[in-house]
Amino acid sequence: MNTHELQSRRRLLKTSAIGFGHLALSSLLHEQAQAEAPVESPLAAKIPHIAARAKRIVFLFMKGGPSHVDTFDPKPLLTRDDGKPLPFDLPRVTFAKQSNLLKSPWKFKQFGQSGLPVSELFPHVAKHVDDLCVLRSLHGTNPAHGGALLKMHTGSDQFVRPSLGSWVTYGLGTENQNLPAFVTICPTLAHGGVNNWGSAFLPAYCQGTPIGNASLSASKAKVKHIRNERIDPQMQRRQLDLIAAMNRDHLSVAGRNAALEGRLNAFELAFRMQSTMPEVQDLESETELTQRMYGIDDPITEDFGRQCLLARRFLERGVRFVQVTHSDSEVQWDQHSNLYKGHTKNAVEVDKPIAGFLADLKARGLLKDTLVLWGGEFGRTPTAQGNNGRDHNPHGFTMWMAGGGVKGGYAYGATDEYGYYAVENKMHVHDLHATILHLLGMDHERLTYRYAGRDFRLTDVAGVVADDIFA
Amino acid sequence: MNESLQLRASLLIAACLIGCGSSVAWSGEAPSQEDLAFFEKDVRPLLVKHCYECHSGNETDGGLALDSRDGLFTGGDSGTAITSGDPDDSLLIEAVSYKNHDLQMPPSGRLDDREIKTLKQWIKIGVPDPREASTPTGHEPNGMSVEDGRSFWAFQSVGNPSPPTVADKDWGQSPIDAFVLAKLESANLSPATKADRRTLIRRATFDLTGLPPTPADIDAFVSDDSPNAFADLVERLLASPQYGVRWGRHWLDVARYADSNGLDENLAFGNAWRYRDYVIDALNNDKPFDRFLIEQIAGDLLPESNQETKTATGYLVLGAKVLAEPDREKLVMDTIDEQLDAMGKAFLGMTFGCVRCHNHKFDPIQQSDYYALAAIFKGTKTFGDSKQGAIMHWNEHTFANDEQTAQIAKVDASIAEKKKAASSFKNKVIAEIRASARDAAVEYLVAATQFKSTASLNEVASIAEPHGLHPRILHHCRLHLEYHRSDAVLVKWHDLASQSQSVRVHYTRLFADATTALASARKKDPKAKRTGDKLLNEVLAVLDDPSGLLAVPAKPEFAFNADQLRRYDELMEAARIAESNADDLPSAMSVTDATVVSELPIHIRGSHRNFGEPVAREFPEVMRTSSVRPIFPANQSGRLQLARWMASTQHPLTARVYVNRIWSWHFGRGIVGSTDNFGLLGERPSHPELLDYLARYFMQSGWSTKEMHRLLMNSSVYQMESTGNEESGIAVDPENHLLWKFPMQRLDAELIRDSILAVSGRLDATLGGKTVPLRNRQFVFNHTSVDHTKYDSLRRAAYLPVIRNNLYSFFAQFDFPDPTMPTGTRSATVVAPQALLMMNADLVADSADEFATQLISSRSTDAERIDLAYQTAFGRAATKDETNRAIHFVDDLTSRSLTRSDSVDANALHQAWSLLSQSLFASNEFIFIR
Repeated sequence: MNTHELQSRRRLLKTSAIGFGHLALSSLLHEQAQAEAPVESPLAAKIPHIAARAKRIVFLFMKGGPSHVDTFDPKPLLTRDDGKPLPFDLPRVTFAKQSNLLKSPWKFKQFGQSGLPVSELFPHVAKHVDDLCVLRSLHGTNPAHGGALLKMHTGSDQFVRPSLGSWVTYGLGTENQNLPAFVTICPTLAHGGVNNWGSAFLPAYCQGTPIGNASLSASKAKVKHIRNERIDPQMQRRQLDLIAAMNRDHLSVAGRNAALEGRLNAFELAFRMQSTMPEVQDLESETELTQRMYGIDDPITEDFGRQCLLARRFLERGVRFVQVTHSDSEVQWDQHSNLYKGHTKNAVEVDKPIAGFLADLKARGLLKDTLVLWGGEFGRTPTAQGNNGRDHNPHGFTMWMAGGGVKGGYAYGATDEYGYYAVENKMHVHDLHATILHLLGMDHERLTYRYAGRDFRLTDVAGVVADDIFA
Repeated sequence: MNESLQLRASLLIAACLIGCGSSVAWSGEAPSQEDLAFFEKDVRPLLVKHCYECHSGNETDGGLALDSRDGLFTGGDSGTAITSGDPDDSLLIEAVSYKNHDLQMPPSGRLDDREIKTLKQWIKIGVPDPREASTPTGHEPNGMSVEDGRSFWAFQSVGNPSPPTVADKDWGQSPIDAFVLAKLESANLSPATKADRRTLIRRATFDLTGLPPTPADIDAFVSDDSPNAFADLVERLLASPQYGVRWGRHWLDVARYADSNGLDENLAFGNAWRYRDYVIDALNNDKPFDRFLIEQIAGDLLPESNQETKTATGYLVLGAKVLAEPDREKLVMDTIDEQLDAMGKAFLGMTFGCVRCHNHKFDPIQQSDYYALAAIFKGTKTFGDSKQGAIMHWNEHTFANDEQTAQIAKVDASIAEKKKAASSFKNKVIAEIRASARDAAVEYLVAATQFKSTASLNEVASIAEPHGLHPRILHHCRLHLEYHRSDAVLVKWHDLASQSQSVRVHYTRLFADATTALASARKKDPKAKRTGDKLLNEVLAVLDDPSGLLAVPAKPEFAFNADQLRRYDELMEAARIAESNADDLPSAMSVTDATVVSELPIHIRGSHRNFGEPVAREFPEVMRTSSVRPIFPANQSGRLQLARWMASTQHPLTARVYVNRIWSWHFGRGIVGSTDNFGLLGERPSHPELLDYLARYFMQSGWSTKEMHRLLMNSSVYQMESTGNEESGIAVDPENHLLWKFPMQRLDAELIRDSILAVSGRLDATLGGKTVPLRNRQFVFNHTSVDHTKYDSLRRAAYLPVIRNNLYSFFAQFDFPDPTMPTGTRSATVVAPQALLMMNADLVADSADEFATQLISSRSTDAERIDLAYQTAFGRAATKDETNRAIHFVDDLTSRSLTRSDSVDANALHQAWSLLSQSLFASNEFIFIR
């Protein structure tokens, strides 16, 4: 390789992103790096820092903030002291006015070998409790949706920062050249919107590719501009050949240049993606049994079931980071009032699809190296808002993990006796991020990106890995 | 607790109170063996276990070291950790007892009571501690000192260099050429040859107006044999109003311009366009940059302030703010931080944001500098007095007269009425559904016996529908029964569920009893809601609970039938459209002065809950241009003084940073590559003398931007070819920093779009006015995530809405900058989704269709059409090979439509030409400018 070519390639790797096919270039870079001088490149960080327990991750995001004391964190004292005042101080800032303690309308039962308790809201997920690692001591800082969503997805509720998925993509790349490394299915455009899957200052290939958005049903969710409605693929192929011929002529006049060469590849990749993407999204190719397992046959569970099934199809094709969002346009997991009615509806919509998803991942041998993460941007207060609702609670809440090298049937950390504050083995959102990166084989302190003169991290200057939860 | 210890403790405290005065510190006297044993046995293990991870050795989080006695007393950022003898006055105890929600240690969880008691005891008895100091300083290393900083290149005053002597006397035509050539000569490089006229007019036209030259423009320039042809061209382009659209947009990148707030609550900035138009006008009128700066920072405070100068201060309001931040004090400081960061980067090339929490780690900027500036902005009002629920409004200045205010109040009322019409309709329908469900309560309970609580909605519907029941209500009813197995009213249902007839009999009677009992209670008291019977009261509660047994789904599409839903959607849409189209009060985003803040305490680690020393309003020490300190007015924020100081000809940074931006926008890279960072971590200037020459020339020419264009473009450097002596150039200077050739540049997102529209004759070149299709402060997205913002306008891209959190996909794919951060240098990536866009987006295909129509109708032969296409799209004739290839392509595609008849289908022909046109748009030659 002569200097010009090396230079050309080096610049290509630095400034252009090669869209979805950068793994091939990554290995090319690697070979080159060994053969020639070391090359500084954002892709060079792809060598895992530590042994990875999970190869890919899926985040089942429950937008609005599901209540932990009504789902996975039972509080007998809350039931006992229903209607009494909270026996300790409220946080300095609360989102809304708080009244007295409100007991859970649902009963908890123990399940599985582990005997972990799950409330009546999740009868199907409860059957998988021995695979769940229930994190009961999450806490964040922001009591409003926007700030909390951004904190959960990017680690910052104040600045525009790269999202978790884009950091993972930046660190690990992807295993499928014809698909994006990071997809987010039906994401919400409110409360941070694209910043929640954006790459900020990381290279453009790290950004998440949205499949539809929360205003569309999962059956209508598509990547933008993935189809040409006007001409058939043969005709488009003929057109791309013409463009390629024109671009090759131009190269001979304009001189060799990484971006010009990169564009030749980009058109080819785009053309391939046009056929790959619809194939992934063809859920009708799944057996009836599988579709039923995800609840696609039931209008109540159909939408989230489709999202989960789509997630599995992306995961098994090598996509690194998949997010699925349950964000009903009218009744999100945000029960400031009518906790009972709202949570009942939301839980019924996701319970069976999630259980089906876990069972399916397990049956296909994917669960062992896929990290499943479930939860919202915060939990809810044990105190009542109005007479039958719960307010936002970032001070203590529950998420759970499954698969991907975490202990099953295990509860980590605790909130206080009423479920207001995380008190034992507290896990800040930064700690969660550090732990996730660790499970995927990355040291959160070493996964850095230099921008505007500073090394940035997902976890900023914080983050403690919770190694107790590792299997 | 050991009683003798306790006794000892109180004796010790008494002794200390007498012996040590009020400050109870451990004197030189060594602690007793007993106390030391207590420390070793109980205290040390506890500190090691819970505290050392973050507060020992090199880890001194919060500046606090707990692995030595000195560390304890020196304390951290928040002060000493311990007051000997007084646990209740010791921060350590406050932290571990978890009583203060802002100070809880260790973060992993509260210590148990026994451990806290031990620590209290330890403090009470005078903190016996044998540990030697490991010299914890508790302070982070600083960056450059202010003294060193003054000798850093960027903080030195602008020099007065003369153009250097060069060997090749013939090449240069402008003073700047000598600076560039001298560096090339010393690197043994030679500049590329002069570009031809076609290349030059294409380069200059895109550069100054963001549009391609028309074939007529090109012909006129190519045939102009005046020696001033290029200078004349530059003048013509500078006089075009499209110049302001292009160069105004450059400044809008730096100003992080957007039409919506983004971040947490994405409210429309319905009046931001006034600032955008102000910027475009300022460029077109060549407003002196010093004036431009002062107006944006302090236009409201100028003695001659007017609508225009107040609009300019929208600059300070445009940042993304966490509008629903419940902690208002945090919101204020976060907003000031955003303003300082944006202002520092845009005008001074300084990253002030770093200094909020600690002295700058690299640059000679202290925390005291930051809070001295922050005080000025704390005395500035960025938020308005109104809000929507938890969502704060930003400040605006209104130009409305009373009549307009009254008119808008009417519009507001009419929108509110339309919203109310929708919600009343919804409530009415839900009430009807609820009433009919209540009437059929027994039927629901009977039907619920027919299926299990895990049944699918389809199964439930097949049972519900024959009986006229609502499937989702029945579905919920069954779940409710499942969750209430021991409920006094519903327990019987579980007992009887196997015999539906018994359920019917039981509940018919029970509900009738409750109704009768209530009716008789109402005879006595018409307002009665309860009967005298406990069970019957519970029956009534079950029947009447709107979110209980017979809850109606909250979501209209689940609750309503098709007709009801259609009507509801119509009402909602009518309200939304009315709001989107409604006029706003004529007003501009702007700041004004608030209560003057003459000094502000340093916020330790950036926390607004932890104050240090107060600092008075000031300018950053390292940049001060005079030893005479400014006197800030007692009745103004100080922004005007700040702005005038920044715009002073003595300021070392302002002119340099701006001329470097102009250079960078012409040449694709600044003389200082890091256009927004002139600090230690920024890049050093490739041509420092040239930068100073430009800065001085700029100030001498009255801070005229257009004069800089003339200087830079009427030069040999600007007019070089974009290919040079590649072999030697790449060997010596592969990144072309020395400018041995003109850098080829990819068109910016807006230019790609505008060129496609311009070439196909679709572009609407109208200037100015409101273009965002949202009312001021309307939600861009509510919880429904439906995107109502359209980008189908054919106006120039600078007038398309810039929606934070959801940029127009064309912008987002082609590296439009993040509109929350000041951006002086855009990137130019190559990703596959860009290709998808060029292949499949309507904008591209529709334009190609239009272009094809024109080609077909205005020329009669294929060769002529192809020539016109190349002239219009690329500014040159097609070669013979290119013509043949294109004809072959068109023939190939049209021949597919040949049927038995020999005539070519007109649609197929048009499609072939359209695909050819689209290929031109997608090609590298179209979007890379040489």
